[in-house]
Amino acid sequence: MHIPDSFIPLSQAVIYWIIALPFIITSMKWAKNELDEMKVPILAALAAGIFAIQAMNIPIGMGTSGHMVGAALVAIVFGSPWAGVLVLTLVLIVQGFAFGDGGVTTMGANILNMGVISGFIGYYTYIALRKSVGTSIASFGGAWLGLFISAIACAIEMWIAGTFPLRAGLMAMGTYHLIIGFIGEGLITSIVITAIAKSRPDLLEDNFTARPEKNKKETHA
Amino acid sequence: MSRKSNVKFFYIGIAIAFLLAVLAPFLASSDPDGLESAAGGIVEESKMSQIEATEPVVSSPMPDYSIEGLGKGGEVAAIAVGTLAVLAISLGLGKVFSKKI
Repeated sequence: MHIPDSFIPLSQAVIYWIIALPFIITSMKWAKNELDEMKVPILAALAAGIFAIQAMNIPIGMGTSGHMVGAALVAIVFGSPWAGVLVLTLVLIVQGFAFGDGGVTTMGANILNMGVISGFIGYYTYIALRKSVGTSIASFGGAWLGLFISAIACAIEMWIAGTFPLRAGLMAMGTYHLIIGFIGEGLITSIVITAIAKSRPDLLEDNFTARPEKNKKETHA
Repeated sequence: MSRKSNVKFFYIGIAIAFLLAVLAPFLASSDPDGLESAAGGIVEESKMSQIEATEPVVSSPMPDYSIEGLGKGGEVAAIAVGTLAVLAISLGLGKVFSKKI
């Protein structure tokens, strides 16, 4: 879903950068407030793993392939969608500048779609579902929906750009990413989260991930 | 949980990342991705050839995760270099931002 430079006119690409910037800055603030020596190795391992897995395109039929995005996975592990925005921003910067995967002008749109939209929808869907259906299914559902909605957003951006017709764009992007989201995003996220829940349940507990304001005050007092 | 178990998580993550870097050039599908596939199916031909003729704004040193003339080995190297770069940036960011505990 990496949008190349040629798919969005520069005037619009700039607007997506402007929209993406506050999210990127907030994710840096999240890092400043939340990262400590315990969490850095986890963040670095996830970022490296997500970069590598994005090179692994899975065939989905119809002459099409797709790969995991990973923002939902990072958000679930860290208990914050800002962690997903941060990691996807880093990954997209390296992909765009070193490998020409996703344009540099369109990087704002790519960060918005894959970092912000898929991460936020993925994370909050997971939170909404996890009490009723459990960690494994909730992480599957969240990751799948996050990817699907980000593909829909991408189709709308392509329509505004004048690159795709609206209906056909929504149909094609929706169909492909429904399947990519199922295998590439939902299944892998669920397997990784389930494995973490078994081997390192402490990572998914709220006290490791989200630090509630109350605790923060107590520790600083 | 102890710092040690997070370091273990770190090494397992890195091992998986580099395993993927080695396998991806051989196992990954070369079919177009969802966006490219959609474009191929619905964008009219004249516009598509115009899009295809447009060069990226910034030329990258290792386009399409490959190193010119090095074949599959070059692809493995390219993905490994990218993985290392992401790792280094995350650790660097962690060093700048993280609090000592």
